[in-house]
Amino acid sequence: MNDLAFLPQWPPLLNQMIWVGVLLAVGVAGGELVQRSLRLPRITGYAAAGIVLGPSGLALIGQPLLDELTVFADLALGLVLFELGQRLDLAWLRRSPPLALMGVAEALFAGVLVFFVLNYHFGQTPLVAAVAGAIAMSTSPAVLIRVAADLRAEGQVTERALILTAINSVIAFLALTVLIPWLHLEYRGGWVTMLVQPLYLIAGSLVLAMLAAQATLKLAQLVGKHAGRQFIVVIAAVVLTVGAAVALKLSVLLALLAMGAMVRNADRARHFIVVDFGDAGQLFYVILFVITGARLDLGLVGTAGAAGLAFVLVRFVGKALGVLALAPMAGLKLRQAGLVAVALMPMSGLAVVLVHETATLYPEIRAAVASVVLAGVVILELVGPIATQFAIRRAGEAGAEQG
Amino acid sequence: MLEFKTSEPLTLGVELELQLVNTRDYNLTRGASDLLAAVAKAKHPGEIKPEITESMIEVCTSVCGGYAQVRAELDAIRQVLGDAAAKLNLGVAGGGTHPFQKWSERRIYDTPRFQRVSELYGYLAKQFTVFGQHIHVGVRSGDEAVRLIHGLARYMPHFIALSASSPFSLGADTQFDSSRLNVVNAFPLAGCMPFVRDWEEFEVYFEQMRGFGIVESMKDFYWDIRPKPEYGTIEIRVCDTPLTVGRAAELAAYAQALAASLRDDLAWSPHPSLYQVYSYNRFQACRFGFGATVVDPVTREHVPLGDEIVATLTRCLPRAERLGGSEGVAALLKAAAARANDARTLRELLEKRGSLPDVVRAACAAWTGS
Repeated sequence: MNDLAFLPQWPPLLNQMIWVGVLLAVGVAGGELVQRSLRLPRITGYAAAGIVLGPSGLALIGQPLLDELTVFADLALGLVLFELGQRLDLAWLRRSPPLALMGVAEALFAGVLVFFVLNYHFGQTPLVAAVAGAIAMSTSPAVLIRVAADLRAEGQVTERALILTAINSVIAFLALTVLIPWLHLEYRGGWVTMLVQPLYLIAGSLVLAMLAAQATLKLAQLVGKHAGRQFIVVIAAVVLTVGAAVALKLSVLLALLAMGAMVRNADRARHFIVVDFGDAGQLFYVILFVITGARLDLGLVGTAGAAGLAFVLVRFVGKALGVLALAPMAGLKLRQAGLVAVALMPMSGLAVVLVHETATLYPEIRAAVASVVLAGVVILELVGPIATQFAIRRAGEAGAEQG
Repeated sequence: MLEFKTSEPLTLGVELELQLVNTRDYNLTRGASDLLAAVAKAKHPGEIKPEITESMIEVCTSVCGGYAQVRAELDAIRQVLGDAAAKLNLGVAGGGTHPFQKWSERRIYDTPRFQRVSELYGYLAKQFTVFGQHIHVGVRSGDEAVRLIHGLARYMPHFIALSASSPFSLGADTQFDSSRLNVVNAFPLAGCMPFVRDWEEFEVYFEQMRGFGIVESMKDFYWDIRPKPEYGTIEIRVCDTPLTVGRAAELAAYAQALAASLRDDLAWSPHPSLYQVYSYNRFQACRFGFGATVVDPVTREHVPLGDEIVATLTRCLPRAERLGGSEGVAALLKAAAARANDARTLRELLEKRGSLPDVVRAACAAWTGS
């Protein structure tokens, strides 16, 4: 019997908890450093911290651990999507159809331009180019929501960039799951899978969202109009829906986004107060961005850098064209429209999720799509938040910044 | 010299300061410049102007003959503003205060005058994110203006109780019907015009104040009623912005009828003790609304304000009839008899809906008339 059995073995076994703590601490410190010394958005700092800790950097956090931590990132992204869904204000779109049209236009232009450039110029197969184009339609909701919150931004540029992000996320998802399968029959099995899979994915996710939204509203009614308790209701609903979507092989993206939109738009009795995720919510963003940063493969900049850069630029041009073309009809000054287009640049965790969803649909092209799209994401992970912050500040919509 | 411009007697002009809120959590939002740009090309009577913070906008009618025109112009402006706000996803609402905004989050509208005011008054400028109705009544001369201001002073509690719509501030029930006026009180030049006898005396006073370097123009006085020599009007400034344009027009009709009867009552002259009871009565009206007890400076009687308002409105009805404002005065009479003002409506809404954002949402709907 060893008298010293109460002592840990040496070196001690580092468990997951320790790494989550390290990740949070380094992330929050990185965000602060970047904000104070360079006046850059905090999330750029979170992502940079992730890169430093991850396989591309010091490799303190390896791939196995990242896989284990995915659950935190998924939960965080779930919350982001739920919040984004709440931004999908259908009443506003009904009152201002040009705004809805703007959402469709900027997504389509970006997608189509990316498709042509990748297909003709970079010699990607039509399917790879189309999938990359579809993913290019989407803007990172997490970056927009977080940067806007950090700047206490309010105003037309911010509001419109947020609702456009909600619209382009939906369109990107639909393009990936419905449009492209139809255009590329050769990659699919029989017509049954072709018709039934998208149908299952979409209808199933919407039904799940509806059930979850109803449960959320019932629970919100039960706990009353109290911000703290309703926050827990939201967390419960999001965790449950993310879990159910994964278990049923439905789309986490569509289910969460739709649930947020339904809670917002179907709450006629106004049981649900708008929950400010506040300080607790920031925690999830730190986790999300550090993990996304850690997952980035910086090597892609070397191997697919040119395509990635072209992807970023062409996507921006497409979005700018779409926004500018409809600006006069939508009651937006051209200067504001230009800033909206700049604010829509970020791509981050959502794009990574979309790449993963692609993998289940077309396993054979996963690698090709990933290299192009993720090379773009690496660039935008760092540049995107800066662009959004620049646009909001330039629009004069930043309030007293959170110190 | 402060020249007093003559205007058509008993004409009316109404200014309303309005709240701009977002449609998510119904907090005040930054929207004035975008909204102004959106209405710039629309045709409407009167004017739509910026106010001191980005979450505020001011609308005013042109010079109106009476109640009907005020009502029609306000309706037209409300429509134009509503259409533009809907496209921008902004909510527009009346109410003297926003129930739960934090003044520290407000942004000062970027004009030299507003920036100067902000510099001088510090946090008071941001706290001044309160929303009032101003009623202009046309007068022939400066002397008439001075006399009318003294005459109307004792009725200010009426206007406070009838228009009160600011029971909530910083997320809490203030227990005041009009908490807005407490904010106005903090300014050094708030209160009343001094007890001057005619325009000449007023000019002397104004020149003295200017000589001290305290004021530059009439705008620097934040009085409850002040003369407006460049318009040829007197301006009643105690009202909270009501929840509806209807109530705003009704208040104007009451002001017109009262001014007419004071003007024609040649026997009346201002009593020196008028302003001794003024702040007490004003406080009572702010705090208790119709339930206030006010002191008559002449008889020294304590009178329930609600009863006095009903009696005065009843007395004004025939005069309002001749001026075309009987519909407005009758509506006020009905409200006063039921002791119903917007402060009560807002409290009932909170009771029913359970949260202040929902109260603001209902206020937006009341303003839009939906």
